[in-house]
Amino acid sequence: MNGRLKRTLALTAVGVVLVIYLLPIYWIVATSFKEYGDILARPPRFLFVPTLRNYAALFLLPGQGLQATPFAARLLNSVIIASFSTVLAIALGTMTAYAFSRFRTRGQSDWLFFILSTRMLPPVVVVIPVFLMYRALGLFDTHVGLIMLYTAFNVSFAVWLLKGFMDEIPKEYEEAALVDGYSRLQAFVRVVLPQAVAGIAATSVFCLISAWNEFAFALVLTQRTAQTAPPYIPSVVGSGATEWGRIAAGTVAFLLPVAIFTFIMRKHLLRGATFGALKR
Amino acid sequence: MTVTLARRRRALSDYQVKMLFLMPTLLLLVGMNVFPLIWSLHLSFHDYAADMPGRPPRAVGVANYTALLHDPNLWRNFQVTAEFVVLAVAAQFLIGFGVALLLNREFKGKGLITTLILLPMMLSPAVVGLFWKLILDPNWGLLDFLIRPVTHASVPWLTNDRTALPALVMIDTWMWSPFMMLISLAGLNAVPRHLYEAAEVDRASGWFKFRHITLPLIAPLLLLALIFRTMDAFKLFDMVWVATEGGPGDVTKTVSVGLYVQAFREWRTGEACALAYVLLVVIIALSSLYIRWLSRIRGEA
Amino acid sequence: MRHCWMALAGGLVALALMAGCGRKPTQATKAQKITIAWAQWAPADYLSELGKEYTKQTGTEVMVEQIPWPQYQDKIFAAFAAGDSTYDIVVGDSQWLGRCSALAGNHYIELTDWMKKNLDASSIVPQALMNLGEYPKGTGRYWAVPAETDAVGFAYRRDLFENPKERAAFKAKYGRDLAPPKTWQELRDIAAFFTRPPELYGVALYFGKQYDTVTMGFQEVMWSFGGAYDDPKTYRVQGVLNDDAGVKALQFYVGLKPFTPPGSESFGIGKECVDAFNKGLVAMAEDFFAFFPGLADPTKNPHAKVTGFFPSPAAIGPDGKERHYISIGGQGFSVPRYSKNQETALDFIKWFCQEPVQLKWASLGGFTANKKVLASEKFLSATPYNRAFAAAFPYLRDFYAVPQYGELLTVTQTEWNAAVNGQKSAQVAMDEVAKQHTAILKKAGFIK
Repeated sequence: MNGRLKRTLALTAVGVVLVIYLLPIYWIVATSFKEYGDILARPPRFLFVPTLRNYAALFLLPGQGLQATPFAARLLNSVIIASFSTVLAIALGTMTAYAFSRFRTRGQSDWLFFILSTRMLPPVVVVIPVFLMYRALGLFDTHVGLIMLYTAFNVSFAVWLLKGFMDEIPKEYEEAALVDGYSRLQAFVRVVLPQAVAGIAATSVFCLISAWNEFAFALVLTQRTAQTAPPYIPSVVGSGATEWGRIAAGTVAFLLPVAIFTFIMRKHLLRGATFGALKR
Repeated sequence: MTVTLARRRRALSDYQVKMLFLMPTLLLLVGMNVFPLIWSLHLSFHDYAADMPGRPPRAVGVANYTALLHDPNLWRNFQVTAEFVVLAVAAQFLIGFGVALLLNREFKGKGLITTLILLPMMLSPAVVGLFWKLILDPNWGLLDFLIRPVTHASVPWLTNDRTALPALVMIDTWMWSPFMMLISLAGLNAVPRHLYEAAEVDRASGWFKFRHITLPLIAPLLLLALIFRTMDAFKLFDMVWVATEGGPGDVTKTVSVGLYVQAFREWRTGEACALAYVLLVVIIALSSLYIRWLSRIRGEA
Repeated sequence: MRHCWMALAGGLVALALMAGCGRKPTQATKAQKITIAWAQWAPADYLSELGKEYTKQTGTEVMVEQIPWPQYQDKIFAAFAAGDSTYDIVVGDSQWLGRCSALAGNHYIELTDWMKKNLDASSIVPQALMNLGEYPKGTGRYWAVPAETDAVGFAYRRDLFENPKERAAFKAKYGRDLAPPKTWQELRDIAAFFTRPPELYGVALYFGKQYDTVTMGFQEVMWSFGGAYDDPKTYRVQGVLNDDAGVKALQFYVGLKPFTPPGSESFGIGKECVDAFNKGLVAMAEDFFAFFPGLADPTKNPHAKVTGFFPSPAAIGPDGKERHYISIGGQGFSVPRYSKNQETALDFIKWFCQEPVQLKWASLGGFTANKKVLASEKFLSATPYNRAFAAAFPYLRDFYAVPQYGELLTVTQTEWNAAVNGQKSAQVAMDEVAKQHTAILKKAGFIK
């Protein structure tokens, strides 16, 4: 086949693939800006007059200004819980990754296996005893409770990913520092950490996205006070017919941070998604 | 000189640093994972309903486990899960790899396109399940509109017992074939050019090159991706729950969904703990496979 | 080895620390506010309105928190399981009574003694009081006071029914006048008559798998055909549930599917049936009366002015006898044991049951169980559907209220929805329900 023809065909195919992948996302964004009538129109409308009504319904209470609507409160919970758990997970993860990378520990590969396998557990399996435990400890529907759980879930992933990054940092730099009279801690902080910044940043984004998207734990362990956005959005229904416009708006508001982060961190995404198997 | 020595004496030894760096993480993981799992194991030998905390658990030996073996619903759930995993992973693999072959050439905007295609898999599965419900709606969904010229009828994707599971496979494939595509791309890129050139000198056909150069070199990566996706598909709860809650009937009731219903809707806590343990064993088996392979690829002992 | 023990000990310390952080601050006794939990629907809005009246009279703030129906049961029971003190009143479904009473989960406080002193029980319709508040039935122990009594009913397009061409065609085909059906068999004829795809279908019915939809829809057909869930004395299910009447009833119900719009196998309570009617897709739509205010509203329903209502019809069973049963809906006010404002909550309930308040409740759109208000002409003519609602009262009947109701409900939901979907024959579905119900009731000790 003619090389040029092949190339054109391939590019067309790429175009088709792109459309298929992005059409649903475009559709949900469009729906969030549609009036109720446009949403239920048969056939579906691609051209329409946009409105901000749906977003207003989510973030503003009728007759009052920007207040803590239920949705805004849930979004805020998501922000708080995801951020805190990420900070904790990264802090713990960096230290542990360094220890595993630099110090020989007995049964190291077993520990690493244990750590990563906790991340592989289906949440539904873990959540049953955690529910009982939280009930006994009074942690049901608290921010602290969810933060601790997300930290535990993310730290295992962070350790694996960060160890890979740490391994790539040559030992010579710290060793030189140690010879110069720095303590191990000082060498860690002043020599290793700066070099690990890129890896830490990438891992942070992954932990953030993971905590942000989490559904099952939030569904079971929160009620109102600490409930995050994912269990709440499917229930943004009006009394009567389903308010798809509002659901779409909630979805877009929720997905936007992830989209932004994904774009910022695109170079490291593959690595994170495979738990550090690929270094692109 | 004296200053340096003084600094040394005050500083933490390597052992102390190691303990300081390792212990908090391990404590957290033990507290949040091991301890609850031990409790859960204990409960799996009892008859208990968590929403009736006043009624203490009643020891029943292995009754919960034997009930699992004889529960036709559970076997059906496993069947549904297996069907889903096989279909979804196969579809993702074929589509992902196929698209990777297409994209494996230089063209403008390749970086941007790759990033865009990455977006679906970074989204929350629960929210993805939700907005696909709108797209698949038989009365005003987008998909219905697009395929109606072909089918001449509306297909109630998520509520018809024959199409519900395929619909879920479709959603999952939409989310994850980009992942397979990227892994395939990475693998394809890593194949050294000179091998192809050498083969071309010998007038090797495209198929020959593919079968004897490309495939063997990217196989390990593909295997990794396959295991990873299999594990993930097996665990899937969020998307299924929001899209169908296991319905219609129990046609999309995967094991995770069945477990959730048993634990938090029917409050059969003891039995749910037993099932959770069985799942645990399966997942650990699968993930040990993944982790060993992962370590091999990363070049660790 | 030493590391493992250290890790375990440290893990326990970590847990204890977390517990310390976790305790919610104990509330000071400022019972100026009560939180009521209800499902997310119009009656909860009416309760909010009514609550403002209460605030005006007593100064106590009333907050109604609305949880969407599909998650309502799950969320409330999870809150109970966790001993959460968020809610001072829960407007619970009648089926929850058993599980929440002291005989099982012990989540509701018992209201028997309080009612003797604070409530005039004779002012409430006995079926409502019994179905929505008493457990076990017939023992005189109460755990809830009726808040919103409800029943399943139908809306219909009066313009279609009164259209002369339609009437003539119907009379010619069926030999009787086109009118709101008095039996399910008549309903079937009308549904068949009006099924003209894709523009119009005969009826929208409760077929869906969510919560208790298909069970609420089918059970009244089953009862009216002469079927029953079990033997009232022995709880025996085999041979009672899946007897001839039961199987024929299910065959009949499933046989109505061709007259429903596409996707009807997932039609749920308060949503799809009403939607279909609003869009002019069906001639009749089934739903709980609590959802009919939306149908009488011209801004929501373009056909509001020509929408009529009738209570669920009777049925002629295989034995030729006519029976009439209607699924009761509705919820009652209960006070969770974990509430920190029980006194204030009870005061609110007492205030709610007074006749003038019941009148206001009915005028806002709520459904009352107060005898006098129900019989008053003011109530009956207040809305297009009130008369049909009041007519349903003598025939009200309920699902199980035993603590295992949830498991029993899951079975009927799964099997009957499967039958509607054509996955199973009626006989197989009924047999499966009988088998599983027997197992559940045996395990719970009801069947010896």
